Amino acid sequence: MTEDQKHLLSQLKPGQHFTVQKVNAKGEIRRRLVDIGFLKEEKGVVIREALFCDPIEVEIKNTKVSLRRSEAEMINIKVMEQ
Amino acid sequence: MIFNRHRHHHREHHGHHACRKIKIAIAGNPNAGKTTIFNYLTGQNQKIGNYPGVTVEKKSGHLFHGRHEIELVDLPGIYSLSAYSLEEIVSRDFVINDKPDVIVDILDSTNLERNLNLLLQFQELGIPVVGALNMSDEAEEKGIQINVEQLSKILAIPLVKTIGTKGIGLKDLMRMAVRVAHGSINTSRRHINYGVEIEDAHHKIIRQLKTDPDFCHQFPSHWMAIKLLENDPDALLKVKQHHRHGEAVLLETQKIIQFIEKHFGDHSDVVVIEQRYGYIHGALQETLKQNQNTTNTTLTEKIDNIMLNKYLGIPIFLLIMYLIYQFTFTLGDPLGLVIEQLFAGLKSVIQKTFAAGIFRDFLTDGIIDGVGGVLVFLPLVVFLFMGLSILEDTGYMARAAFVMDKFFHIFGLHGRSFIPFMVSTGCAVPGVMSARVLSNPKDRLVTILVSPIMMCSAKTPVIAILSAVFFPKNAGLVFWLIWISGWIFAFIFALIFRKTLFAGEQTPFVMELPPYRIPTVRGIFQHMTEKSGEYVKKAGTVILAASVIIWFALNFPKPPENFTSNAEQPETGLSIETLHPSAIEQSYGGKFGKFLEPALRPAGFDWKIGVALFAATAAKEVFISTLGILYGIDEAPETDSETGLQEKIKMDPAYNPLMALGLMFFIMIYIPCIATLAVVKKETGSWKWPAFQAFYTLVAAYLIAVAIYQTGILLGYGV
Ligand SMILES: Nc1nc2c(ncn2[C@@H]2O[C@H](COP(=O)(O)OP(=O)(O)OP(=O)(O)O)[C@@H](O)[C@H]2O)c(=O)[nH]1
Ligand SMILES: [Mg+2]
Repeated sequence: MTEDQKHLLSQLKPGQHFTVQKVNAKGEIRRRLVDIGFLKEEKGVVIREALFCDPIEVEIKNTKVSLRRSEAEMINIKVMEQ
Repeated sequence: MIFNRHRHHHREHHGHHACRKIKIAIAGNPNAGKTTIFNYLTGQNQKIGNYPGVTVEKKSGHLFHGRHEIELVDLPGIYSLSAYSLEEIVSRDFVINDKPDVIVDILDSTNLERNLNLLLQFQELGIPVVGALNMSDEAEEKGIQINVEQLSKILAIPLVKTIGTKGIGLKDLMRMAVRVAHGSINTSRRHINYGVEIEDAHHKIIRQLKTDPDFCHQFPSHWMAIKLLENDPDALLKVKQHHRHGEAVLLETQKIIQFIEKHFGDHSDVVVIEQRYGYIHGALQETLKQNQNTTNTTLTEKIDNIMLNKYLGIPIFLLIMYLIYQFTFTLGDPLGLVIEQLFAGLKSVIQKTFAAGIFRDFLTDGIIDGVGGVLVFLPLVVFLFMGLSILEDTGYMARAAFVMDKFFHIFGLHGRSFIPFMVSTGCAVPGVMSARVLSNPKDRLVTILVSPIMMCSAKTPVIAILSAVFFPKNAGLVFWLIWISGWIFAFIFALIFRKTLFAGEQTPFVMELPPYRIPTVRGIFQHMTEKSGEYVKKAGTVILAASVIIWFALNFPKPPENFTSNAEQPETGLSIETLHPSAIEQSYGGKFGKFLEPALRPAGFDWKIGVALFAATAAKEVFISTLGILYGIDEAPETDSETGLQEKIKMDPAYNPLMALGLMFFIMIYIPCIATLAVVKKETGSWKWPAFQAFYTLVAAYLIAVAIYQTGILLGYGV
């Protein structure tokens, strides 16, 4: 696996794997993201996107989670090339 | 029995009454099966659905376990004991203020990591905790093997395997909870170790908190200290307001947090959660095995590949809704006819047994036409709710929110608003209540203000009868179009409100997509009977009352003596019927309608519709019953009294499809029913909002109906 230049979860396309680096949000949204499992070193994959590419569905901690691109923008990641 | 002796000891120790009721909180992550288990144990019928956020209010119930009386309280699902969303606040306030004897945390065994994150937070509260490893059937299917005994030992929390839908393990669960409540099982208050730095900081904060014993009595200091470490706004506020040395505690806390954040390079709340997840990871590594052979695509994934397809998602959603309505009408209409005939039969029985006169008219034209006219639509309501509950129970609702979110978002709404919107298509009363799934007050208020515009089960029969009468060839299509327009208008108003009254920030959309589940027959049946029960109840109360009032309003004052032919001449079989319409026009209701008529003319409505629309603010179905009463009275003697209302309306020369179209839009949009306004008042806490809602919807409905009618006339569709 090699690292890519991309940094934000919102920039990924369906099928891409990633490792979470940091959640850059405040208040409720940070709490929710972290509680649901967007933690440092957590691995996940983008499964699909809805029409107009928003929201997206991500698999993390063995479950499917949907979130908006604007929310995915708050998650720093490393892209994993499989 | 050792067990008993212990109990006595415990009781004396705390000075409780002999038959102390045990209070148990049912808590846990969203969609873990809490309400399923609550219903099974208490025999209640609280709403269950396969998507997160079904339960929004705490609900309590009773049961006996052996000799013990237990009060169970079902709580909304949460991820954390923070206090951002309303669900979190409801659950957190309950466990902290009401101090249950035991918290039974319902855990989704297929997703233990995330569920244990909450379980450990409950443990930190210092209230005894029992964990239910629910969904153990699904876990098994997925090849997840849990060493229950070992995990329970590591966490120092009793765990019981359960299958909520089948009731398996629930007896054991209650037995365990009772034993824990009596202290005969030692749930040590062991808490996880957060690592040296945090433990240090934690101890320092506890020491600060202990300077006010009263405060520590009210709020468990161990837990409070962690919340302070997490910079939890609610905890900070509580310390500020209630702690004797609040300022000092907060100052010290800020210093400690700064140190932690510098040390770990992240926000302190994130650090705490990370440590907790780290601990969980360790505990599960020893106790949980996942067979790897089941990793190929699951059924849920396969279904979602179609349902959530980028381009097919929205068309599929619309198609599903269309099919549900089509199904509702094809099955519901013939049954409705049967009910109509039953009432017609009842009417003729009454006509034969009672002498003609005002009382007989009151029974036939007032009560039977009013209540019967509404009950005719019971089958429609039953089938509609059957369709909707299948969507809810399979798990499609959460998908629909995914598919529709972008769209909602454009109009400044949250994908979660989808839930109140969808519920409002059944009934706006629970719809407005379910707006609690929105934690942002602005999102919530906007949703409450606009979601009653949706088609609901009360508007359904009204719109159905009008589309059937005026568009006999395309009734299903017209109905569907009106249904869609309900959504569209709700969106437009939402956007307007979002841009004007409620400009501002929005809340997270982040949401788990549950696996598809096969709906239980029992669950669907429950939904159906409950909704139809409500409908029948409404017919027997609000609508009955409204029918009576309206009948009186339309029959009194009685026309002058020389007009009447009525009660004195029973053999003619004619009552006041022979004399109107002028007779009705002379009545209070008729006068009121006539008074409104000039204002209604531009929309093509006559005074009868005016009366019916006014009456229908009590409940939308009343529109039909009022027309029923109007036409019942209006019957020309030679007309067969069994002719359905539909024929009568059709024969009225004053009505045409164009007017009907405007009327349907008017009915969709104008003033929500009284029950809805009352619940809006309850939910928003003031009469200001329901008043505003009634006002803006009335103005909008009027303008739209006029616009449709006038445009139609211009285009030459007038007749
Ligand atoms: N297979 C399986 N399904 C279950 C079990 N327990 C509950 N369910 C299903 O899980 C779904 C969620 O159940 P609910 O009881 O509404 O869950 P809840 O925890 O009350 O959810 P919220 O109120 O939204 O927090 C429903 O579709 C249930 O039928 C179980 O043990 N096994
Ligand atoms: Mg529930």
